[in-house]
Amino acid sequence: MTQYLVSVLTEGAIFGIMALGLNVIWGWSGDFDLAYYGYVALGAYMTLVLTIGRHPAPERYILGLTLPYPVAVLLAVVAAMAMALVIGLIALRHLRGIYFSIVTLGAVYVLYTLAGQFVPLFNGYQGLSGLVNPMADVLGIDFNSYQYFLLGLAIAVFLLVYLFLSRVSSSRFGLALRSLREDERAAAAFGRDIYRLKLKAYVLGAAIGGLGGALFATYVTAFNTSAWAPLETIVLYAAVLVGGRGNIRGVVLGVFIVIVLIEESTRFLPEIPGHPNIVLALRPIVIGLALILFLRFRPQGLLPERRYIDRIQEKTKQELAT
Amino acid sequence: MTTDAPAALEVRGLSKHFGGVRAVENCSFTAPKGKVTGLIGPNGAGKSTAIDLISGFKLPDAGTVIFGGRALEGLPPHRISRLGLIRTFQTPREWRGLTVLENVVLARWDEGRETFWRGVLGLRQAQREATVGELAEAREILEEFGLMALRNERAGNLSGGQKRLVEFARIRMAQPQLVILDEPMGGVNPVLGERMALAIEGFIATGTSVIVVEHNLPFIERVTDHVVVMSQGSVIASGPFASLRSNQAVIDAYLGEMPTYEQPSA
Amino acid sequence: MHQALLILGFGLVTAAILSLSAVAFTLEYAVTNVANLSHGEILTIGAYAALVVHERTGSAVAAALAAAVAGGLIALAMHAAVVDRFIRRGTPTLVIFIATLGLSFVIQNVLVIIFGAANRAYTIPSGAPFQLGPFLWTALDIEIIVSALAITALLFVIISYTKFGKALRAVSQNRELARVSGINANLVASATWFLAGLVAGYAGFILAESIGTFTPSFGFSFFLITLTAAVAGGLGRAFSTMVGAVIVGIALEFFGGYVSPGYNLAFAFGILALVILIRPRGLFVNARRSVFE
Repeated sequence: MTQYLVSVLTEGAIFGIMALGLNVIWGWSGDFDLAYYGYVALGAYMTLVLTIGRHPAPERYILGLTLPYPVAVLLAVVAAMAMALVIGLIALRHLRGIYFSIVTLGAVYVLYTLAGQFVPLFNGYQGLSGLVNPMADVLGIDFNSYQYFLLGLAIAVFLLVYLFLSRVSSSRFGLALRSLREDERAAAAFGRDIYRLKLKAYVLGAAIGGLGGALFATYVTAFNTSAWAPLETIVLYAAVLVGGRGNIRGVVLGVFIVIVLIEESTRFLPEIPGHPNIVLALRPIVIGLALILFLRFRPQGLLPERRYIDRIQEKTKQELAT
Repeated sequence: MTTDAPAALEVRGLSKHFGGVRAVENCSFTAPKGKVTGLIGPNGAGKSTAIDLISGFKLPDAGTVIFGGRALEGLPPHRISRLGLIRTFQTPREWRGLTVLENVVLARWDEGRETFWRGVLGLRQAQREATVGELAEAREILEEFGLMALRNERAGNLSGGQKRLVEFARIRMAQPQLVILDEPMGGVNPVLGERMALAIEGFIATGTSVIVVEHNLPFIERVTDHVVVMSQGSVIASGPFASLRSNQAVIDAYLGEMPTYEQPSA
Repeated sequence: MHQALLILGFGLVTAAILSLSAVAFTLEYAVTNVANLSHGEILTIGAYAALVVHERTGSAVAAALAAAVAGGLIALAMHAAVVDRFIRRGTPTLVIFIATLGLSFVIQNVLVIIFGAANRAYTIPSGAPFQLGPFLWTALDIEIIVSALAITALLFVIISYTKFGKALRAVSQNRELARVSGINANLVASATWFLAGLVAGYAGFILAESIGTFTPSFGFSFFLITLTAAVAGGLGRAFSTMVGAVIVGIALEFFGGYVSPGYNLAFAFGILALVILIRPRGLFVNARRSVFE
């Protein structure tokens, strides 16, 4: 039982990190980016090729180094940021709305195809594996206790990201970013460089996504293209939408509901004889329906975005009255 | 160009074509500093396009715009704004999801306080003090515009007239050298006209020159010192409002007598 | 040269299917301003309907009809149950776009539940390929190209010369104006989606025939190429979309012929990205915006 709980919480923390990154791009900057999971995937792939060393043929992939784990994760995040910079520089210049979404969808599909077809890159559809218990020897953790270490690591990273974004959200940068989302032209009329701001948010979001991907690869010890289905992006979007777009507490709630609850509840459904696919197919159906229903009836999500509430003046008036 | 005061804005030979349509054709005028200049003309005269060209939202085919001693054409809107020229739009463009107070506070672009790293590391002491001072100023301005009670309201929930007032409060906060108001009376209850006229006087008093594009001619009469008339993409007349009423070119442009009643808002 | 012409011949078959799918998508967009991300599922449902009917009746014609009707009905349902409701609330089109993505997943997985996720074979004896000019086509290929041409011609007649077609163009240009002049915009939109669904369902049928197998997600994959053609031609412009589809279809075939076909989708998106970046409104940009350009 504890093992199950540990794994659910670890997954929840990791997906929470991914969703927080998506919230920067979609929740705050307002861009419906369909390439997001590509940054997660790149983070996962890079972490693997930088730590698993060189496996014998027929496996083929780039790099194949055995760098220390924290260094590998850092480089993986940098790689995700680099890719986001390239895509963002192109896509954010003139495109908005569905044109932006379609181009990002195209970009991620190209990368997805490359990752699967161009074997020398990341070993094609087979993918990479073998990232077993990084840091265990350094920290002296035995095999059985490692899951707790990973849980702690995931939660620690999640909290760091959460606090970091909390600061960004309540800063003037965050406010300016959200004004872009609300009305770009007015933001430009008041001195904001739309392109630069959006690009910064895009790369920041991608960095967090890459970090989530790195941790995901650590948790699963492997990664390949089947973990990279278009559905994964939708799941993250559903989490952000349901919980509360723009509100990082909402995002956490959304991850809990969409990913933990729905995922785990469908896991426990009994197999229906003769229809082996129902349970597997139910999850995307529920998530798709949740997406549609929330967009229709509660687009702001369960926890709407928080705004700065000014209270000081009232106190002064009261003091003056007495 | 009857005034000898320095110019807040000089437009020379501005032109813009869309396909075969000549939206703005060799348009030239001057807006004197410290005054309110009206920009009027029948529908399709090219006023809005001219504003877009001046403020950087569209690129001119020809011509130049001189502001604060430099040429503006070719610069993106945010750079022109940072040089001290702010414009409004035909529909109120408040930042819907933010509060009224947030809208006003955000009106001032501050490079030092708005960077990403400042957001992460926090503001320095001097910057924090600046923020506190700014908040106080914002409250004062909201008080002046009668919006204090609404300051924590989501800006998108306000009425059309209130949104216009928020826009004016934003301009007051930003204190630009020049503000261009694009049909501020559009869709607004005429009762607010006097309120807006007072706001415009407030702009002048605090050192902001004003250009107003409007169809509502009584309003133009009330607030402007100098009026520029456009028709079919060019300027056909300019001068104090009273002098234009008997100007034949202006009358022709408006197809008959210049209306003295309020035109229906767009 | 011979090789090139051969590939061109195959490309025309792909182009035929692609142009039908793209025109249907464009009609949906023109009349509701919504890029329907679940459009591919109309093709998939058409394919499954054809399979079921073909297994029962053994008739390819009945299967084709079933595909079209099923496509029409599902498109109508999509419009009534999801798209139209959002439009009535005045929801921004990007939000509806996202909703159709969710819808796509729902439909795909409902199909998985009903039919299973495995490949379904759809083999209709296509006959031996024979020489027709410089091209090498089977009887099936020729049927596909001819039927595509016929349907296109029919659509052209409907849109250009019938009262319905006029109403369609009016609604696509300016919904409010159309409504004010007495046109029931909702009815026109529903009918247009039904029409688009008929065409898309049939496209699914010939696509399945052409490939020989399909799965619940095959429509979605093909849709991504459809999107390329539709955007390249200009969203909302029916005929330039068709030209775009022909170009993309042929280009894809050449690319697949000289490079590995696994990269087809990537190549299609490469084209798409290029088109959007250079000419966001499509390759055949025109100042006016109407269904027919």
